[in-house]
Amino acid sequence: MTGRVLHAHLHLFDRQVVRADGRLLCKVDDLETEPGEAPYVTAILAGPLALGPRVGGVAGRLMTGTTRLFRPEEDPAPRRIPMALVGEIGSALTVGGDVPEASLERWVREHLIDPLPGSGGADPGLREPRPVRRPEVPARDRLSSLVGRRVVDRDGAPVGQVADVQLTQDGPLLGETTQALRLSGLVVVPRHTGQLFGYERGPGGNSPALVRAVIRRLHRGSRFVSWEQVADPGDPIRLTEPRAALLPLAELFTRGDASASG
Amino acid sequence: MKRFFAVTLGILTAIGGFVDIGDLVANALVGSRFGMSLAWVVVVGVVGICLFAEMAGRVAAVSGRPVFDLVRERLGPRAGLLNLAASFGINLLTLAAEIGGAALALELATGIDYLLWVPAVGLVAWLVMWRVRFETMERVFGLAGLALIVFLVAFFALGPDYGELGHQLTHNPSDDGAATYWFYAVALLGAAMTPYEVFFFSSGGVEERWTRRDLGVMRANVFVGFPLGGLLSIAIAACAATVFLPRMIEVDTLGQMVLPAGLAFGQIGLALVIFGVFAATFGATLETALSSGYSISQYFGWQWGKYVRPREAARFHATLLVSTIVAVALILTTIDPIKVTEYSLVFSAAALPLTYLPVLMIANDPDYMGDRVNGRLSNTLGTLYMILLMVVAVAAVPLMLATKAGQ
Repeated sequence: MTGRVLHAHLHLFDRQVVRADGRLLCKVDDLETEPGEAPYVTAILAGPLALGPRVGGVAGRLMTGTTRLFRPEEDPAPRRIPMALVGEIGSALTVGGDVPEASLERWVREHLIDPLPGSGGADPGLREPRPVRRPEVPARDRLSSLVGRRVVDRDGAPVGQVADVQLTQDGPLLGETTQALRLSGLVVVPRHTGQLFGYERGPGGNSPALVRAVIRRLHRGSRFVSWEQVADPGDPIRLTEPRAALLPLAELFTRGDASASG
Repeated sequence: MKRFFAVTLGILTAIGGFVDIGDLVANALVGSRFGMSLAWVVVVGVVGICLFAEMAGRVAAVSGRPVFDLVRERLGPRAGLLNLAASFGINLLTLAAEIGGAALALELATGIDYLLWVPAVGLVAWLVMWRVRFETMERVFGLAGLALIVFLVAFFALGPDYGELGHQLTHNPSDDGAATYWFYAVALLGAAMTPYEVFFFSSGGVEERWTRRDLGVMRANVFVGFPLGGLLSIAIAACAATVFLPRMIEVDTLGQMVLPAGLAFGQIGLALVIFGVFAATFGATLETALSSGYSISQYFGWQWGKYVRPREAARFHATLLVSTIVAVALILTTIDPIKVTEYSLVFSAAALPLTYLPVLMIANDPDYMGDRVNGRLSNTLGTLYMILLMVVAVAAVPLMLATKAGQ
């Protein structure tokens, strides 16, 4: 059985997360993965503690630093939305269930917006009880930590660095009906060329022609590595095959995206 | 009939809402210095804003995602944050300029110094954003902005020398250098294509809950309303070219910019044009303030919008409040609002590709758009504009430094 094929950067990262009633919740700032033989995605991570490390640099450190300062815990973790709650994955991700809102939203509402006249705010005496923070989950891997990692082939020769992670929805069952997104492959680019925009992969995003040509040229020589070809997902990632045996990325969609997605 | 009414109302709102302080200042300034020789830039700018507003509106209607969602999603968190910082800063400058413009219009109307009006304008603007429904707000100020049509009527009433103006279309009447000419070309393009316009337009589409069925109305607004709004811009330049250029007067205050209407129709003309300027700048105050809230909320994924109660979009409303206060404070430093406008235009022009590239990419992504992806025409024009915008972005700041901001 083949599940739906997604790419973490292209289809999940930075998308809006929406409640079932249409209210906006957060962004997919990062994804949490369960390591192991066949790693899979366990939760969406959101908030500055997830976003900061991805932004990096001074701005990223500032983001995480400020948040740590205001959080009471010893070692605060980002907000976690289990993948089992995620319903539809489209231009936004819909989550069901009771997901607590961000603490900043709550603080701003209670201290700034509600006291203003005409806010339609509740009587200050009738504040909703503070949601209980879920117990911290043992630190798992973050998917974004894979991105940017160096990749070397069987003989230790450099192949490039990870630009995106392919996920296939055929992992273990989460909750009752949803299957987990299993890490099924890596998109490896030969040099640091920044963001991939989906022009390399098709079938989506093939025009305009000039943009496609420029972006494909920037990412020429990109390879696709299936998870079975990964010997050691450490740093650097070591492969079981020589560089020449890897599939060029351009062949990924001519070969199989059409048959694999569904 | 009801449908026809809705389309007409939308178009009228688009015309009245098109002109803001940037268009007003840039066109009057350019008209008085370069006659009609830069009118072509307004045409280029209007075609550009139509093209990208239509794409952004289509994405919003089909997928429900506004522009800054797309920016973060396609550019990633790092480049997205850079764009957010740039857009937010420019937005704040523009907001300050609009508040200043509305206060200056009130000074012209009452004789009371504009600095006394600034806090009042800020407070009323915030109250409107806090309490008034989105549709009402957009309609009232868009329609009131239609008073600026007086510029178009005044132009014909002034009895201009059509031969001379026609000659200026292709011949630059000014003896300023080429750098100054191109500096103002960049500023005019920035005025016509200001990024906040697409932030506001697409977020407004989400606020009004557009669906695929609204695509027709949206396109009518864009393809009829925006060009007619652009015509108003050209009329402002033409008035200035008729009144000020032959007398070698350089326009640098709002009081001068409204004079052509006064010359043509006396007190009534003056009253109408001041009302129009106030409505346009006040309407744009709301649009820019909301855009600052939209952009930051959409980057971080916060709940935003006026379609929920303020307490359900607390961080969004806090952003609106804080931006308005900061912009009011900026104008209260007695910095010249007209100067602020000029700078905001140039920086807008420099930031254009960062916003428009993701829009162009997503409008082509069937994952978002299904069968509503860009057609061949949109893509050809879109590519040409991307090249143009990148050239403009690179040239904007050096031109500003080289010409000392057009001195």
